[in-house]
Amino acid sequence: MLIRMAWRNLWRRKRRTLITCMTVAIGLWVASTTLGIHDYSDLKMVNTSASMGFGHVSVEPLGYLNKPGFDKSFRAGVEMTAAILATPGVKGASPKIIGPGMIGTASKTVGGMLMGVDPAAEKPERNVFIRAIIEGSPFTASGASEVVIGRRLAERLNLKIGKKLVYTATDAKGEIVSDIARVRAIFKTGDENVDGGTILLPIGKLRGTLHFGPDDATVVSVHVGDERDADGVAADLKVRVGAPGVEVRTWRDTQPDLAGTIAMDKSFHRLFNTFIWLLVATGILDAMLMSVLERKHEMGLMMAVGTSPRTLFLLVLAESFLTAIVGLGIAIVMNLPWYWFMTTKGIDLSAMVPEGYGVSGVVVDPVIRMVLFKESVVRIVVTFFSLTLVAGLYPAFKAARVPPVETMKIV
Amino acid sequence: MFLLKIPIRPLFLLISAVALFLAPLSGAASAETPSEKAARILRAVDDMWRGESSRANITMKVETQNYRRSMRMEAWSKGRDFSLVRILFPLKEKGVATLKAGNEVYTYLPQTDRTIRLTSGMMMGSWMGSHFTNDDLVKESRLLEDYEAAITFDGARNGRNETDFSLIPKPTAAVVWGKIEMTVAEGLIPVVETYYDEDMKVSRTMTFKDVRVFGGRRLPALLRMTPADKPGEYTEIFYESLKFGLGLDDSFFSINSLKRESR
Repeated sequence: MLIRMAWRNLWRRKRRTLITCMTVAIGLWVASTTLGIHDYSDLKMVNTSASMGFGHVSVEPLGYLNKPGFDKSFRAGVEMTAAILATPGVKGASPKIIGPGMIGTASKTVGGMLMGVDPAAEKPERNVFIRAIIEGSPFTASGASEVVIGRRLAERLNLKIGKKLVYTATDAKGEIVSDIARVRAIFKTGDENVDGGTILLPIGKLRGTLHFGPDDATVVSVHVGDERDADGVAADLKVRVGAPGVEVRTWRDTQPDLAGTIAMDKSFHRLFNTFIWLLVATGILDAMLMSVLERKHEMGLMMAVGTSPRTLFLLVLAESFLTAIVGLGIAIVMNLPWYWFMTTKGIDLSAMVPEGYGVSGVVVDPVIRMVLFKESVVRIVVTFFSLTLVAGLYPAFKAARVPPVETMKIV
Repeated sequence: MFLLKIPIRPLFLLISAVALFLAPLSGAASAETPSEKAARILRAVDDMWRGESSRANITMKVETQNYRRSMRMEAWSKGRDFSLVRILFPLKEKGVATLKAGNEVYTYLPQTDRTIRLTSGMMMGSWMGSHFTNDDLVKESRLLEDYEAAITFDGARNGRNETDFSLIPKPTAAVVWGKIEMTVAEGLIPVVETYYDEDMKVSRTMTFKDVRVFGGRRLPALLRMTPADKPGEYTEIFYESLKFGLGLDDSFFSINSLKRESR
């Protein structure tokens, strides 16, 4: 009865109601789009950074994070990898040897990062360097004297496919060791620093150079299906493969710059969204207050014939609630094709963004897309409904306080 | 021999030349093939390292596009494992010392009284602003292990007997060069060494001039390193004096001796 009355009241002023509903719908659209784009770009950055060596979660020797080097390593055999892969939520795990070194040719010697990867365990979707190969093909043999280098490094050292380079590093005992490798492939991620100083070597070969044992690694990078599970998986892994001298960390520890950037981004986005919500709420408040004020006469009459102030209060609340529902309906209809477009195609900004633009060493994808997580949708809808109700409170209160006799005089 | 040891080890260079001198070419068996002959000389050089100690006064001149500097230093060496170089002039850098002991390189800075062990990341840095890098200093390479040696010329040229060697790195050797060519004149005096990159383009050239007598041995006193990609730049090392057979102890080349005042 109350709802039906509210519904009818709503459509006595079709134009105003529709405009209010549109305000609501546009507010919802803006909020979900900005949130979706932010979530997508954060997700993308986290996944890209995870594929730059350390994964979403990394299992590493104690103290490695503070000073990554070849002096800290641990046994990361098949049993450990198997135990990690058996952990719920884990999509992939691969042992790696990562540390600083020197890369030289007859023309020049530069400092850089040596990364030993297992050709069998390293999948392109989990390794940005293999994914970004523009010339040649990734190595397949673990003991081969082959190397995958960045394009900028190739330019600096005057290297081409098939040419040799000498890499030098400090091994586990502090000895300076060097070895030779021939260029098998060249990658280009777009980040100058990464492309100018990273080389990928087969892990077996690097183990030999550094006098490591056959299963030794400096880190096991773990990839999870959903980045938001990283903390849970890390806690789980601590129990499963934890040992004295072994640490389990998430990307937030291994990529603190990125974690900071994302946290900053998220709080900025929250602030921005608060303003949008305030605008929408003001719109609803305005419309409801108008409709209450112009119906004072009618409400006074209803009270005079026995309607309780409580009913009137609820009636107005029901009206604002219905406005919200209709607005939500419009928003869904409006959003569906938009959301489809943004998830499948996205907006390509590559013409406007300089090539290789990156945040904290992670290259940013110039195509804007969006992703809506379930909890984001729930959060938006819940915030939105509570706001509508709060915005409806004052007009409803106003309606309940209408003094019948005086207001009946108003025509 | 002198090649490869070039780097900051000017002393080593000379000693290796000495080694050549002590391993006479003429002592070869008559039925020797050229590659055997080359191998024999190289081996003789490598073996002659042991035990020999020396002390030298050196002037180093560095000419680059951006700066020109000249410094005087004194240097000691023993075998292939140890060397110690201390700067005497300019005053600003007096006392700065570099020690190579085995695979380790240390630098001592008197102004801050600090000894730094060079890590692999610092190896690419220039040694004392010259065209030699710290890496050149530690790269120890037994020629016979890393290179296939061949004699490409052996006979009279420029009014004396000269021998040309061609050294091609073995496929697994951790060396950056594509080839090294060297010329040795009679009396085992080094003349020139040319380093090629993998495309067989000249990368740097080392020339030896001004042959003098040091401790009864004839040796070039002036070495000049010219990088091919930087026209007009070079590093020159001139030996003012050089003595051999000092009987230095291994402990002479310890971290403590880095700080010792020059003697």
